[in-house]
Amino acid sequence: MVLKTLEVVGPQHGYGIARRIEQISGDLLAVNQGTLYPVLLKLEQEGAIASEWGASENNRRARFYRLTRDGRKQLQAETKDWEQTAAIIGRFFEAKAEDLS
Amino acid sequence: MRSLRRFLSRLGYFVTRRRDDERLREEIEEHIALQTEENLRAGLSLVEAWRQAMIKFGGVEALKQDYRAERGLPLIENLLGDLRNAGRTIRRMPWLAAVIVVSLAIGIGVNTAILSWIQTILLQPLPGVSGAANFLLVEPRTETGGYPGASWLEYRDLQTQVPALRDVVASQMVAFNVGEKGQTERTHGQLVSGNYFSAMGLKPAIGRFIRPEEAERSGTEPLIVISYDYWQTRFRGAPEVVGQKLRVNDRDLIVIGVAPREFQGTMLPLKFELWVPATMAPALLGGTRDLEDRSSRAFSLIGMLRPGATREEAQAEFSTAMAQLARDYPEASAGIGGEILAFWKAPRGPQRMLISGLAVLQGVMLLLLLAVCGNTANLMLARGSTRQREMAVRVALGAGRWRIVSLVLTENMLLALLGAILGAALAVWGTTALRVAPMIGSFPILFQTRVDALTLTFAILLGAACGLIFSAAPAVHLARLDPKDGLHSSSNTPPRSRARKVLMGVEVGLAMAVLIAAALFLQSFRTARQTDPRFRPEGVLLAAYDLSGRNPNEASEREFAARLLERLRSLPDVEAAAIATNVPLDLHGIPARSFTVQGRVRTEAGQDRAISNTVTPGYFKVMAIPLLTGNDFAEMGDKAAPAQAIVNEEFVRRYLNGADAIGRRLQTREGSFAIIGVARNSVYDAFGEPAQPAVYFSYRDVPWDQGEIHLRTRSGNETALTSEARAVLRDLDPMLPLYDVRTFSQHIERNLYLRRIPARMFVVLGPLLLGLAAIGIYAVVSYAVARRTREIGVRLAFGATSGRVVLQIIRENLGVITQGATIGWLLALGISAHAFPTGGVNLPVFIGVPAVLLGVATLACWLPARRASRIDPMAALRHE
Repeated sequence: MVLKTLEVVGPQHGYGIARRIEQISGDLLAVNQGTLYPVLLKLEQEGAIASEWGASENNRRARFYRLTRDGRKQLQAETKDWEQTAAIIGRFFEAKAEDLS
Repeated sequence: MRSLRRFLSRLGYFVTRRRDDERLREEIEEHIALQTEENLRAGLSLVEAWRQAMIKFGGVEALKQDYRAERGLPLIENLLGDLRNAGRTIRRMPWLAAVIVVSLAIGIGVNTAILSWIQTILLQPLPGVSGAANFLLVEPRTETGGYPGASWLEYRDLQTQVPALRDVVASQMVAFNVGEKGQTERTHGQLVSGNYFSAMGLKPAIGRFIRPEEAERSGTEPLIVISYDYWQTRFRGAPEVVGQKLRVNDRDLIVIGVAPREFQGTMLPLKFELWVPATMAPALLGGTRDLEDRSSRAFSLIGMLRPGATREEAQAEFSTAMAQLARDYPEASAGIGGEILAFWKAPRGPQRMLISGLAVLQGVMLLLLLAVCGNTANLMLARGSTRQREMAVRVALGAGRWRIVSLVLTENMLLALLGAILGAALAVWGTTALRVAPMIGSFPILFQTRVDALTLTFAILLGAACGLIFSAAPAVHLARLDPKDGLHSSSNTPPRSRARKVLMGVEVGLAMAVLIAAALFLQSFRTARQTDPRFRPEGVLLAAYDLSGRNPNEASEREFAARLLERLRSLPDVEAAAIATNVPLDLHGIPARSFTVQGRVRTEAGQDRAISNTVTPGYFKVMAIPLLTGNDFAEMGDKAAPAQAIVNEEFVRRYLNGADAIGRRLQTREGSFAIIGVARNSVYDAFGEPAQPAVYFSYRDVPWDQGEIHLRTRSGNETALTSEARAVLRDLDPMLPLYDVRTFSQHIERNLYLRRIPARMFVVLGPLLLGLAAIGIYAVVSYAVARRTREIGVRLAFGATSGRVVLQIIRENLGVITQGATIGWLLALGISAHAFPTGGVNLPVFIGVPAVLLGVATLACWLPARRASRIDPMAALRHE
């Protein structure tokens, strides 16, 4: 989710990512925003994202995260995985009794 | 790949300890600020906006914890933390830690030392040879189960007829007389086949080894290889030794090389110094026919399995080959089969006996170590109960169960590993101390035991296992702790542990049994020394000679003994002289011989046996053994007298029912002898032995190629005879060395020394077990006392005197101790009845040892009890 968000909106700070996830999910996913930061750290350690200091909209110092090339590759792979999984699960839900006969 | 990168990044953090908590703090601030602004825009008050933002963000501290966990290497960080903590804890209890480490070290050290012995015998039968485990003994075997050795021609046949063995190597042990005429020295060596060194893949220290073709034709290659030690001691390690001549059995041999340092020959544990091609045998051994005679089975064979071949194949081929040989040469090989044996099953040598002994010892010592672990666990529990509060605080502050367990585990593992390291050091010291080569007879033996990687690993693993064992109880106990209970009070009385008390009782019982055994052995040795051997060892000098290198026959052996005796008797300081094949009180014992005697009909199956010694006339005078009836043997030169024998009192009592023995015929494998005298009983194998039947034969009738010279001095100083005896032998044959010269008293001392080894083991083990039991009692009692601090406090508050409290604690524990002690005492009684069937019960030992033991036990109870009774009742109650 984090990777996808970053791909769509480009470099973003932590708060922005959290807001974005909330918006996209239609406020259905309202987890503790704090839990985002360990995830960001993990992704950074894996090399999927990179971070640097920058200025936010209201000119405060903020840390901006952006997708790296590895991250993009990882996103593609995971997107594909997810789509496959979703398609399989989807087919199970669509399947009706008569399809099997 | 990804996880690797992550790991590296974490490692980087872990190593540099970059403090970027700052970054997280800033990010959180920023996040909250942005959210607050958002909320403000939504129309909330400033305070409410901030509050909502904080709620949405979640717990900051928990987040920080997670963040930190993501960042570094928590496992290792925790471990380091635990280690630091463990170090602190151990520093706070130096005495307890010392007791634990030392007792573990002893347990682990002893076990490691024993394992190093076992592995030396099992895995390194040929020191200095790599892959020695692939070598097997190739032993011809008679129908009766004897291993007669192989003849040279048989060896040449077997070389090609057992294809499953890559190389078959032959060797024969020989005592060479090395040196110029008149200054010869007896040195042990092997006559070897040409492939001896190449088959074992040995590299010479300098020079070269014997080549296969150099042991083909008889007597043409006067070459010799010397051992590393021999090179160092006799040639001072000079490289010019190669090409030098060495005088061996009156022949010049050219030194061609030096064996590698560790190599000591192929008959463990004997240590050989010289190796000569087998084809030199006729030249060196006075025209021996060993190389042509199939019935002369003088060689030992070993073989290395061909890669891929199994021992079963080798055995099958060997059996077939031996069967063929038995058909081809019935007069020499009929009824002789063959057996392929592992080295540690060597029919000649102590390996088989040692291995079983060591295995038992190892088992006992592992049990001992287990008892040490039990003690340590108790000590730890005793300490753990005083640390409940600390642990409860930790749990209350949010430490997970696993963190508590790992904390305790780290502490104990640290102790265990310290013990293992100290134990390994102890084992290294112990095995090197045991390496000193004792001499058995005149033969140097050496077990090259050492602590190597395998045994070190064993020590460390043993330490780790101990750590785990004695961690388990306290760790589980502390982790199960309810923080509420721990902080509140120590009022919940724990269930009394039966296991702990049983352990204590068992330790006491063991210590009792072993201490009594040790005391009994010691006492029996002391009394043995005071027993009359019924001969007179004082003033007798012993020395050995060996004609086997001169290839003698019966006539020359008899002739030599007669001339030697005559010359020795003519020495002015010699009161009496004799030669005998065996010396009483020898470590190996005196061989027994089966016989039939006229006038005795054996009713049950089996054969009559008696100790037999072959002696010259004058023996009884030298030994001061009186002849009760009859006469001494006929003089050596007497050709008229029939073959004679002298028996002892016990022989007459047991086999002739006390009837007159003189004139009866005694039949052995050697022939028929007339009994001409009865000698008084004396000690043969050990002090304090029951009377044994014995038969003496005469050198005149049964000559031997070797003998022990017995000289009784006139002046009282028997050592003064040494040089005169040497001179006599030199005169008779300048190439023969006199060896193993010692006084009879020295001979007795030396053999007692070796026989005392088991007794000494008990003496070491006894105090060790006593200490162990004391520690065990101390641990159990202090644990029990620590758990009952409150109860004791209440009692003291209600007016009990501290003396009464102490008494009560001691009384409670002494019950179990007495039970254990009684069982141990009964066990010891059994041992005593078994080991000293004639002695009866040794009352001082059976009363004294329990008294000492119970004294120590009471002391071990008293120490923690006194501490408990000293507590301030108010302080104990305020624990609540």
